[in-house]
Amino acid sequence: MTEAVKARATAIAEPARSTAPDSESGAERVHEPTPAVELVGISKIFGSTVAAKDVSFELFPGEVLALVGENGAGKSTLVKTVGGVYRPDEGFLRVAGEKVELHSPLDAQHRGIAVVHQHPGLFPDLSIAENVFAGQPIRGAAGLLDHGKMRADAQKWIDMLGLHRDAATLVSSLRTSEQQMVEIARALAADAKVLILDEPTAALTIGEVEKLFTVIDDLRTRGVAMMFVGHRLEEIFAVSDRIAILRDGRMIDTRVTSQTDQAETVKLMVGRELGDLYPRHNVTIGDPVLTVSDLSVTGSFHDVQLTVRAGEVVGLAGLVGSGRTEIARVIFGIDKPSTGSLNLDGNPIRPRSAADAMAHGIAYVSEDRRGQSVIEDFSILDNATLPVISQATKLGMIRRRLELALVSESLERMKLKFARFDQPIGTLSGGNQQKVVLAKWLATNPRLLILDEPTQGIDIQAKAEVHRIISELAAQGLAILMISSDMPELIGACDRIMVMRHGEIVAEFDRGNATQYEIGLAATGVTAPVADQDDVGLAEAPAGGSADALVHADTALNTATATPHPPSTAPPEKPAEATRPQREWLKRLVGRRETGLLAALLVIIVPLSILNPRFLSSANLVDLMLVETSLIGIVAIGELMVMLTRQIDLSVGSIIGLTGYIAASTMAAHPDLPVIVGVVTATGVGLLCGLINGVIVAYGRVPSIVVTLGTLAIYRGVDSILSAGKQVGSADVPDSWLAWTAAKPLGVSILVWIAAVIFIVAGGFLWKTSRGREIYATGSNPDGAKLIGIPAPRRVLLAFCASGLLAGFAGALWASHYTIVDGQLALGIELTVIAAVVVGGVSMRGGSGTVLGALIGTFALLVIKNALALAKVDAQYLQAFYGAAILLAITVDLVVARRARRTGKVLA
Amino acid sequence: MITTLRSRLGSWETILAILTIVLLVVAATGNDNFWTAFNIQASVSTMAEKALMVLPLALLIIVREIDISVASMAGLSAVTAGIALDQGGSIPAAIGVALITGLVCGAINGFFVAILGLPSLVVTLGTLALYRGMGYVLLGGTPISNIPAELISFGNDAVPGTFIPWDILPFLLLAPFFAIALQRMAIGRRIYALGAGPETASYSGVNGIRIKFVLFVITGVVCSIAGIVNIGKNSSAAPNAAFGFELDAITVVFLGGVSSLGGRGRMTGVYWALLLIMTLRSILQLQGAGGYTQNTAVGLLLIGSLLLTNIVTQASRSLVMRRAKSARLKETNSDNSTPQSSPT
Repeated sequence: MTEAVKARATAIAEPARSTAPDSESGAERVHEPTPAVELVGISKIFGSTVAAKDVSFELFPGEVLALVGENGAGKSTLVKTVGGVYRPDEGFLRVAGEKVELHSPLDAQHRGIAVVHQHPGLFPDLSIAENVFAGQPIRGAAGLLDHGKMRADAQKWIDMLGLHRDAATLVSSLRTSEQQMVEIARALAADAKVLILDEPTAALTIGEVEKLFTVIDDLRTRGVAMMFVGHRLEEIFAVSDRIAILRDGRMIDTRVTSQTDQAETVKLMVGRELGDLYPRHNVTIGDPVLTVSDLSVTGSFHDVQLTVRAGEVVGLAGLVGSGRTEIARVIFGIDKPSTGSLNLDGNPIRPRSAADAMAHGIAYVSEDRRGQSVIEDFSILDNATLPVISQATKLGMIRRRLELALVSESLERMKLKFARFDQPIGTLSGGNQQKVVLAKWLATNPRLLILDEPTQGIDIQAKAEVHRIISELAAQGLAILMISSDMPELIGACDRIMVMRHGEIVAEFDRGNATQYEIGLAATGVTAPVADQDDVGLAEAPAGGSADALVHADTALNTATATPHPPSTAPPEKPAEATRPQREWLKRLVGRRETGLLAALLVIIVPLSILNPRFLSSANLVDLMLVETSLIGIVAIGELMVMLTRQIDLSVGSIIGLTGYIAASTMAAHPDLPVIVGVVTATGVGLLCGLINGVIVAYGRVPSIVVTLGTLAIYRGVDSILSAGKQVGSADVPDSWLAWTAAKPLGVSILVWIAAVIFIVAGGFLWKTSRGREIYATGSNPDGAKLIGIPAPRRVLLAFCASGLLAGFAGALWASHYTIVDGQLALGIELTVIAAVVVGGVSMRGGSGTVLGALIGTFALLVIKNALALAKVDAQYLQAFYGAAILLAITVDLVVARRARRTGKVLA
Repeated sequence: MITTLRSRLGSWETILAILTIVLLVVAATGNDNFWTAFNIQASVSTMAEKALMVLPLALLIIVREIDISVASMAGLSAVTAGIALDQGGSIPAAIGVALITGLVCGAINGFFVAILGLPSLVVTLGTLALYRGMGYVLLGGTPISNIPAELISFGNDAVPGTFIPWDILPFLLLAPFFAIALQRMAIGRRIYALGAGPETASYSGVNGIRIKFVLFVITGVVCSIAGIVNIGKNSSAAPNAAFGFELDAITVVFLGGVSSLGGRGRMTGVYWALLLIMTLRSILQLQGAGGYTQNTAVGLLLIGSLLLTNIVTQASRSLVMRRAKSARLKETNSDNSTPQSSPT
């Protein structure tokens, strides 16, 4: 791979003078081709953090510019600025020589800039094909979406990238590495002139990386300008033409790749000689504290033997996904081991929960600081005392004095920089947050401290302090197990280093004989030396005086790389033959929620109609069910749209009541008016109600449950004030008003025909128009939707408007269909509507559900209702059955989802 | 950038308190009938069941869950207690039956939400219908009306010598306990942690499943007390007891400053909101406004107040952000020289 890639690197001879500092380069390049993108003096500031300062560089067509720098150097900020997510506070962008202001990711897309994001911004509830064309769908006749062509084209793209999946597969069933390929396919399908790859290889296997590089080569010859952001220098030297180095938010230099080497790059990135980061105390290592014997978790790691002694720091090296964190999770009681045993101070333990593990004296500093270590809203003190809060109580009451006694000493020792203990922890820097986390765990008086990537994403100064603390703790006799991807850190801080690969411990090094090179070989499973000492790589945050000594495991790419799954998992190339399109189709059909619902319906209907021949043979009953399904179904479609966007509309019952009364009273007051006036009035009022809901939810940012709970009361109140206890009976309204819904063209009620049209239109809208699909996208992944320029608030507003409009229209139908209309019309009907939608398989998490499902759900509830009525069961019992139906539906969903996950795991 | 959580909520409680007091003063000066023993007793008594429901509901919403089956649980408990009384059971026996009913109902909710991990909104929507329907199944359409006089007196009379209705006493007894538990005790800290950072909480040894399960059970039990109160007040046990009360209860919690996103809110705010809504309803009642009109006012208050605070917070935050940013820009522009020269 490297040969091929390097060979073509010479083809891009142009930017040969780029060793000059960026400030001069602008002037010197005047005679060169127009840059595809040019950043001019870009600065970006968040609160009081300077993320980028006065950054300028150009990106030329047909070149790959690598953007490198330590964590926090400003790479992501620049990616987001070019991608249109951030607007610079100073400076500007030129795209194809033209000064532009990108207002949104969509803006960037229109100018031919596509970004492959670090964390896949995909829509798990949509298919691969739809994800590939998200934001730029293929339209066919009449501007409707051409799903067939999208599927075919998407299939071509993913085939080219070597992702052997049916393009109709839902993205939620893909592995992370596969999702990354979909991201790349999406950028390719956009026919981007500028492609920004933000750590695209982080989750890819070696085969996938090679394919990606082939694709990048291909794009280069087609004149696409590419910006490649990454940490693995090996890859960067293989793929890039130039390297731009960032440090502390500033552009340090740009170098031509072929004229520099990895050592120099590292020096530029680090920018300073580091002192002794890893102080060591003289420690007498004591008895074993933790002994792990034959520990296995199916699918994660197996037969792990591990001992950590008092005063000892044991490192756990290995690639991401090699099973390191999984071991920690078992020791800390989060996951259950399949086999094997744990011993703490010679006593067998079996921690069942984190609380249990804590009671045994185990502490775990998670790798995910924001998600699993701190609560950003909580104060420093509240965070630090959370695990031991019950020790800070007197007579059951929390005492601040006792809280301080528990943690203030260790916080002081951490040299924490803070204003006061009540300061929310979210206002501290990452390094200071980590110190609070350490203090928090020390307060539990642990015997064993597990540190998972303890210095990830914190600055070098804080890192040194964290290591000083770790060393002190070990000196006090604490047993420490440290998981890290930072090789110098492991070598500097650990007494012993165990190396994991594919869920196994494959090597062990003592402090004296561990080198990055050897650890890297063990972690990647490389047997023959592939990289000589000059071919250095770089960890997340490089640290150590001599760059020459840096060899990072991730860089031994030539022969092997991170597989996110243990060896039992098949490589992605293989299952191609297993996925035959036809069987996939059948499987999808069987797996569909609607199919299950239909089957359940038949299970109810068939015995009923055998037991009671009147059930289906009675034309009246069938008619009744159809009409009711139509009336409720119309409202359910609106509710479906709202729930697709992760919201809920509790006010539909009140809207029906209000619009129904308005329609009936209007017709009663003006009997000469044509029927259409009543219908339009009701629909208009409904739309207004929906608009109010939508505006408050989407733009007022009040949660929909609160808003529609309020408007449920308000709309019903307006209804009752208008009706003031009066009824509009059939005698009060003109006959034409009653007649129009009583018509029966072709022997079927006009209501059914109307509803059928609405269902088809709604189904078509949701499936065939980009707005419809954007409603799904908004609910499926709101952040992802924003990234590709979907105006989520507007789609939420649209859904609420649709819900209001349909409820209003249904109000008119109800007012005409039912003889008496008063202030109580459709009271509490929202329960039935939501029940129908939920039974119909619409997820409360948004993004998943269909018109057909909602319809079947509605019909199922009404079948239950009428079956009960036929069995002479009191109508008031009905809600018990509805309630049970909801519980049954969601429980079945859960079981199905869990089974799917389990089989998915086995297949993957 | 940082208006601290505490000061923000503090101010929200202050707003509620001021609003309530202003409303009370206006009502007392504007209407001679307001500040009468009868009116106060009646107004307070109307909220007796809802006030009880609010207590555990606030805790549930803080841990990012919700229980909309509260009124149905009260209703079903009223039915089972009524049947116990009808079968010749004593009042303590009937109360016991009601409490067990609430406990079982709450445990069912807790099972589906905490143990199976299903969304509480849908689960309790289902049990809202299920429990209400069960009430009808058990009792049919006809309410039980031979209720012991003591219970009727409990639901209708005031504590002698005061205008405090007996039926608010369960709330008054429980309210300090809930406030202290949430604000002062370790369990309260864990509840906030579960709402504000569920994963961090569980990694810190907080047993989210158990806490949520217990909270649902407590909700059921407290709602069954509300069911008893309801029997006394209506002098009958009916399957439609406390119908629709969940709306007011949830409204009070949200109005009290508890965030539907979890982790935020204090019991004191919730109590102020309770008093505010009680006052508002009382005033409207005296004006002769019907139940739906009162609901409208409450709905407007709910949406209006939340919308307003959102707008104010957003505006002030963006203002602070902009100031910090421009200050930082100036700062960095002045020390622009250092970094360019550093690489060797």
